Amino acid sequence: MSDSPHSDEQILQAIRDELTRIKVPDAEKATMSTDWRDLDVDSLDLVELVTALEDRFTVKIADGELKEISGVGDAVRLVQRLSDAGAPA
Amino acid sequence: MQADVRDPGAVRAAFAQVKERFGPVLVLVNNAGVRDDGLALRMSDEAWSAVLDTNLTGAFHCTRQALSSMLSARWGRIVNVSSIVAERGNPGQANYAAAKAGLLGLTRTIAREMARKDITCNAVTPGVIDTEMTAEGVAEALVAAVPAGRVGRPEEVAAAIAFLCSPEAAYVNGATLAVDGALGA
Repeated sequence: MSDSPHSDEQILQAIRDELTRIKVPDAEKATMSTDWRDLDVDSLDLVELVTALEDRFTVKIADGELKEISGVGDAVRLVQRLSDAGAPA
Repeated sequence: MQADVRDPGAVRAAFAQVKERFGPVLVLVNNAGVRDDGLALRMSDEAWSAVLDTNLTGAFHCTRQALSSMLSARWGRIVNVSSIVAERGNPGQANYAAAKAGLLGLTRTIAREMARKDITCNAVTPGVIDTEMTAEGVAEALVAAVPAGRVGRPEEVAAAIAFLCSPEAAYVNGATLAVDGALGA
């Protein structure tokens, strides 16, 4: 069950777009099972990505949550969960 | 345009204003500095904090703001104006020397964090320069100790900063450039 205004596919595409913008090679090939290591995403890239996702989806990702994001799927699920929490009842 | 660099909110607002009027900040020179001298034994908490807050924390506030636009542009130049006392120390300037030495640590760390993004962060360490800050009293003995035999001119420091901001300095990163007439040599 989800009241999130965004689908997984929308968030995934946003992640591809942002990774492309920050010049991560092969960003357009990212799938739900892609790890950051597969894409050579470093800690600075991740901070940039998260900042962009926060702006795009109007969510706030805490530093503690950042450590638990090891790949694209984790990021999609986190944005989904935070969007759910912020969605009007 | 003015902002109190000690206040992160004021710095944020100033950067927003600059962006609106001139575009994103891609070159940042952290030059705001004050001094409040006294021997450490009798230095007040206020004197310590005032100098650290402006000279070191202020530079951090500005750097944090600038990095955001530099990252978007995948290009940036930051120059921190440190001081020869960062490396030598100077009696009566525990606060000033600590802040200026802190700037060197900040410089090297930002350089390492951002190197992959074509963003450089370097420092200059001026010696005795003819400015309002030194006009209040530069000991003759200090000037006499400068191997060049004179104080430096502000434009000589500016020239070093301009080089560090230039495209030619793309591979100079995390460096400290002395502009001191060989005082620190």
